[in-house]
Amino acid sequence: MERTRIAEVIESSTTRFTAGAYELLVAPPFGALVRAQTRVEGLAVYGLVYEIRTGSKEPGGRAVVRGRTYTGRELYDAEIYHEHPDLAEVLQTEFSAITVGFVVNGQVYQYLPPHPPPVHYSVYQCDQDELARFSMACDFFRAVLFAHQIPSDELLAATIRAAAQARTDSRAYLVHAGREVASLLKDDYDRLSAFLRRIRPL
Amino acid sequence: MPLNLTTLSQQVRQMSGALVHSAEDMMVRTAQVRERYVRESGAEAQWMRVVDLSRETSAWLLARPVEPLHTTRIAPACPPAYALVATDGSQIDVDRHGTAYCYLINIGRVYMRYGPQATACLTSQPALYYQEDDLYLTDGTRRVAIEGNYLSARRDAEEGIALAALADEFLHDDLPALAMQDGTLVRWTLSGAEQFVQEHFLGQYLFYLEHMRQRNIPVVSYISRPRAPEVVGTIRLMYCPDVDLKAGRGARCNECSDVQAGRAPSCSICQGLVDTDVLAAQLTEGQRGPIFVSMSRINVERYGPHLIHFFYLRVGRELARVEMPRWVAQDAAQVDLVHSLVYDQCIKGQGYPVALARAHEQAIVRSSDRRAFQRMIESSLQRAELPAVFSHKHESKEFMRG
Repeated sequence: MERTRIAEVIESSTTRFTAGAYELLVAPPFGALVRAQTRVEGLAVYGLVYEIRTGSKEPGGRAVVRGRTYTGRELYDAEIYHEHPDLAEVLQTEFSAITVGFVVNGQVYQYLPPHPPPVHYSVYQCDQDELARFSMACDFFRAVLFAHQIPSDELLAATIRAAAQARTDSRAYLVHAGREVASLLKDDYDRLSAFLRRIRPL
Repeated sequence: MPLNLTTLSQQVRQMSGALVHSAEDMMVRTAQVRERYVRESGAEAQWMRVVDLSRETSAWLLARPVEPLHTTRIAPACPPAYALVATDGSQIDVDRHGTAYCYLINIGRVYMRYGPQATACLTSQPALYYQEDDLYLTDGTRRVAIEGNYLSARRDAEEGIALAALADEFLHDDLPALAMQDGTLVRWTLSGAEQFVQEHFLGQYLFYLEHMRQRNIPVVSYISRPRAPEVVGTIRLMYCPDVDLKAGRGARCNECSDVQAGRAPSCSICQGLVDTDVLAAQLTEGQRGPIFVSMSRINVERYGPHLIHFFYLRVGRELARVEMPRWVAQDAAQVDLVHSLVYDQCIKGQGYPVALARAHEQAIVRSSDRRAFQRMIESSLQRAELPAVFSHKHESKEFMRG
């Protein structure tokens, strides 16, 4: 397992958790599998990143435009961060993940863990091997597709695409995953066809 | 309704009306005073002596010019890399009606480095003061409570001490560096204080300035929209009929010959004007005006080698006042550095030095923090089985009783 932590849990519940990234603007991509450590050694919670946001650390605070300086000088993109090193201290990148399972001493379970990851515990981004291992079963598809208030179809499609890339038999995985989704969305043809277009093999 | 807005709005309208009425008069007088000021440039040496002669006997605050009165300097190019430290503080004063006798000082600390290895470190450091030595200053017989103005004085001293500590922690290499504070470097609040209180706080403050001097890190403070009338005080001397340099006589406001003759004093043309009104016209964006010495009593008598100098700097629609000790003001290279770095900070902060804005953000104690602090004290006292009771007055203010 990858040992470099990328973020820290700052909000946590049974079904989802939010992590603050240690580096500004650096977060795992949408649909990525992340792992949050728990108080039990060997037990970690898996989540799928469904939202990434960057804003003021201050509640209610907002960033201001900085591309045109007071004297009329134009600054672009990364130049602005270089010119204002304090931004890294006052802005924060956060991401939220929906909980899709957990791992105990190497054994993966695709249902909710007994406890959510504690606030301030470490979050790691899973590497390709871990993603391939986790996505061997498709039981988490249902939890994602029927979750509320998240872009569930987009999220699952992104995860399936990433999981396909994490293995050599990408096409076979996409076909297999497409069948699983078809069985879950059999009552909704429009939604299913839109979904399948999102994971169509290239 | 606690604040009767209907009644208030009438008074606000009257105020606006009165301001409109006086604005025109102010404009005419400002132009006249400015013209007089410009006319006297070149005669700085003379006015320096007059200021010194009048220091004790003038009723007005004065500023002694160090450079020609018409001086305008554009901001030198900012070095490609520099570092700076800044602090700002806030406090929760002793609450006589609260549960425990204590006060809190929160110091916002900022370190920023620009250039190839750009980085920033923003922190805050709260300190709770509750012991006898913290709450009172004593000289053996007298005992003075540290609250109100004296607490502000302690905060000022703590800001300085924190700034010196930050400089020691972060400013080590050869990079151009600056230490920045908000407000004034002249500790006015101590001017009327008892001798031993002044001694105590000013001693700490001057010790910090001396530390920075030895490390050769320029210290400045920045005042946005200053209302100081010190240069105007010096212009008053230009109008004064009693000033006679040859006879070694400065202005003596107690014996004003105009008043004795039943006239309005000649200097009343300056009434209500501040330095920035006079200097605004001669400074364009980024330019600084001449350097002056602030002639306030505490500065002249107590600051010694750290005697506070200042100049005005044009930043957008306002003139800001930048203060520095003598060892900075007398070093032309340091003055240029201060000028360029302070202006660069203003550009980065869109009109106000970004380091000070960040220090303020770190230091600020919001009303919600204040309430949380009170609750923390209450519950801690209760756990320790100590009485945690508010005064009747505090309780009666909690809500309106029917």
